[in-house]
Amino acid sequence: MAAAVTIAAPALPSRHSSSCSLPPLTHRSLSFVAFTSPTITKLSSHRSPRRFPSAPSTSAFSIKAAAAAADKKRVLVVNANSGGHAVIGFYFAQQLLSSGHEVTVLTVGDESSDKMKKPPFTRFSELVSAGGKTVWGNPAQVGDIVGTAKFDVVLDNNGKDLDTVKPVADWAKSAGVEQFLYISSAGIYKPLDEIPHVEGDLVKDDASHVSVEKYMAGLSFSSWAVFRPQYMIGSGNNKDCEEWFFDRIVRDRPVPIPGSGMQLTNISHVRDLSSMLSLAVENSAAANGKIFNCVSDRAVTFDGLAKLCARAAGRELKIIHYDPKAVGIDAKKAFPFRNMHFYAEPRAAKEILGWTGTTNLPEDLKERFDEYVKISRDKKPMQFDIDDKILESLKVAVTV
Amino acid sequence: MARLVAMQPRQASPWASSSSPLLPSSLSEFNGAALSISLQRRRTWQPKGALQVTASSAKKILIMGGTRFIGVFLSRLLVKEGHQVTLFTRGKAPITQQLPGESDQDYEDFKSKILHLKGDRKDFEFVKTSLAAEGFDVIYDINGREAVEVEPILDALPKLEQFIYCSSAGVYLKSDLLPHFETDAVDPKSRHKGKLETESLLDSRGVNWTSIRPVYIYGPLNYNPVEEWFFHRLKAGRPIPVPNSGVQITQLGHVKDLARAFVTVLGNSKASKQVYNISGSKYVTFDGLARACAKAAGFPEPEIVHFNPKEFDFGKKKAFPFRDQHFFASIEKAQRELGWAPEFGLVEGLADSYNLDFGRGTFRKPADFTTDDMILGKSLVLQS
Repeated sequence: MAAAVTIAAPALPSRHSSSCSLPPLTHRSLSFVAFTSPTITKLSSHRSPRRFPSAPSTSAFSIKAAAAAADKKRVLVVNANSGGHAVIGFYFAQQLLSSGHEVTVLTVGDESSDKMKKPPFTRFSELVSAGGKTVWGNPAQVGDIVGTAKFDVVLDNNGKDLDTVKPVADWAKSAGVEQFLYISSAGIYKPLDEIPHVEGDLVKDDASHVSVEKYMAGLSFSSWAVFRPQYMIGSGNNKDCEEWFFDRIVRDRPVPIPGSGMQLTNISHVRDLSSMLSLAVENSAAANGKIFNCVSDRAVTFDGLAKLCARAAGRELKIIHYDPKAVGIDAKKAFPFRNMHFYAEPRAAKEILGWTGTTNLPEDLKERFDEYVKISRDKKPMQFDIDDKILESLKVAVTV
Repeated sequence: MARLVAMQPRQASPWASSSSPLLPSSLSEFNGAALSISLQRRRTWQPKGALQVTASSAKKILIMGGTRFIGVFLSRLLVKEGHQVTLFTRGKAPITQQLPGESDQDYEDFKSKILHLKGDRKDFEFVKTSLAAEGFDVIYDINGREAVEVEPILDALPKLEQFIYCSSAGVYLKSDLLPHFETDAVDPKSRHKGKLETESLLDSRGVNWTSIRPVYIYGPLNYNPVEEWFFHRLKAGRPIPVPNSGVQITQLGHVKDLARAFVTVLGNSKASKQVYNISGSKYVTFDGLARACAKAAGFPEPEIVHFNPKEFDFGKKKAFPFRDQHFFASIEKAQRELGWAPEFGLVEGLADSYNLDFGRGTFRKPADFTTDDMILGKSLVLQS
């Protein structure tokens, strides 16, 4: 995941969003807003900073109060403006809203940016219709952006490193947020001979998400949890997944798959991720201090996924296996998934949250294909330069 | 009729002499969650939780088989629990054998309590009359393959409390979506269809049945050359030939963990008419398994040679001990419903097998490198 997703450069802070009713930002230049916790708490008008040496008493009180108020939560989602994870925040927000919680989604950057012309952002009006708030800005200035608004839960579905998440986490801590959730990545697990990746397994020491996870753990939120997703399908996805296969299948092109095609991966419907996150919100005590693999409970092989896509499309399938090194191409650019077994199981979610998966690839892919056709992507003219290079080189090998 | 036998005091671990439940060394530093998860599981291994014999009486139990592999371990656990255990075998193998690492006293104690019913289970009349004459509360069918073999047992014991069957995960229909769950489609044409037919028969007869589906079983005394196949090659300093890519994923379950699962379902109402996958907690690639065997037995990392099985005619011989496909099953149903969890990680389990069996010079099948030489001969040619 980490390798394929481009990280958007932080945008200038926006003045305020037209669709939200938060108090307007005071106008400040960037240089004045030097982001450190003490400065932010001086700027904000809602409460003075306090260290919580006896945190339990304050947290315990607020937990009891929340329980008494029928567990309606005020949730802030800090959302990336692009990439494979962007859709998670959208589904999570929708699910929370339909459960009666209050939701604000803070998307990185400007509402007017070109990035907002892609899903799921094109569907943000649905969040507003459901009573949610959508704002835009630089997460480093989250305190300014939300002003005096209070939140019980914050989900950071944006940062891949500590520089990006620390400001949000620090603000959340100082603002008395009870529960802090973070979308990390299953890509941080160390690949081993034994499969699957299970919560608690070794992670890569240098993975940037790891430093975020460790930092969060040390902040003493009443409840904190880390979610490690893999690949997703679902309407509103910002990044191609099954589309890569459909593009080739509907054009009667061979599907080039690196290696044996037996590599296992986990393709989840994003609704499984949002249901897991929602359960963590509604069971914050149980979820506290836990890592959750945020994935469906089945693996699929590369070849298997191609077959399911072809079946969903009702078309023939031709798979070509190739060795990326022999062909001289970068498998990361040529294929949407990392070229190895990459399979995590959602054991903690099942055991601790009583979560169950609903991803049903054969059925879900049919739905995906229907939408693929509905938006006329099957008719869209496309180039397949890398595919052509692969096919070319294989023909050459064969004739020799 | 069941005779009440004084309950044996439970030992600290069912396998006191041989295993040490280690925390897997792969737990990361940042393991707040890991610790809480594995601690939860470890709690169920403690004597009070793990072998939950109901407060009611000891049972009169018949094991069909029991002298070769699974039953050897299962019968010991049951006897230790205070049940009266009879083994039904033809008597071809010794009824009891002292296990490596088993103390003389433990062995003598077991030997003095285990009973034997000599017969051929394919002699259905004999099965029916002898079982009816004895009367048993519980049947463990460890070696049954065909449904017809089970009918006389059910006919003989109308008041049977529970029929516990050793089936196989081999019944699952091959799929691109894995792992196999108990609810998955089964393959009526598989090599293991007799197991399926037995499960159906049990269900249709209205008996209180439980079916256990192991994947690949391993451990000391294994008569299926699973780990033994690798150990022979490692000991001989030979490369390990692996078909195709070597990334095919399989799953091994330690026989002692399987035996504990069999005991856990005894008298457990949750297990009534249920199927459970029982195996190890994690899965492993073929290449990874070769490395794990080497690590467990203290051999250097092996050379692995991948070959294309289509390029050879091995005749009746098997060039590799596993089916050439992904094959693994989720054990979460058993974990969730029974509170059972495997004690052995893969390397620890393979070490247990090596230390108590192959490493002591014992094995079931002598080394046969015929197919290896065919493969290596060809690969040498290709290299030159």
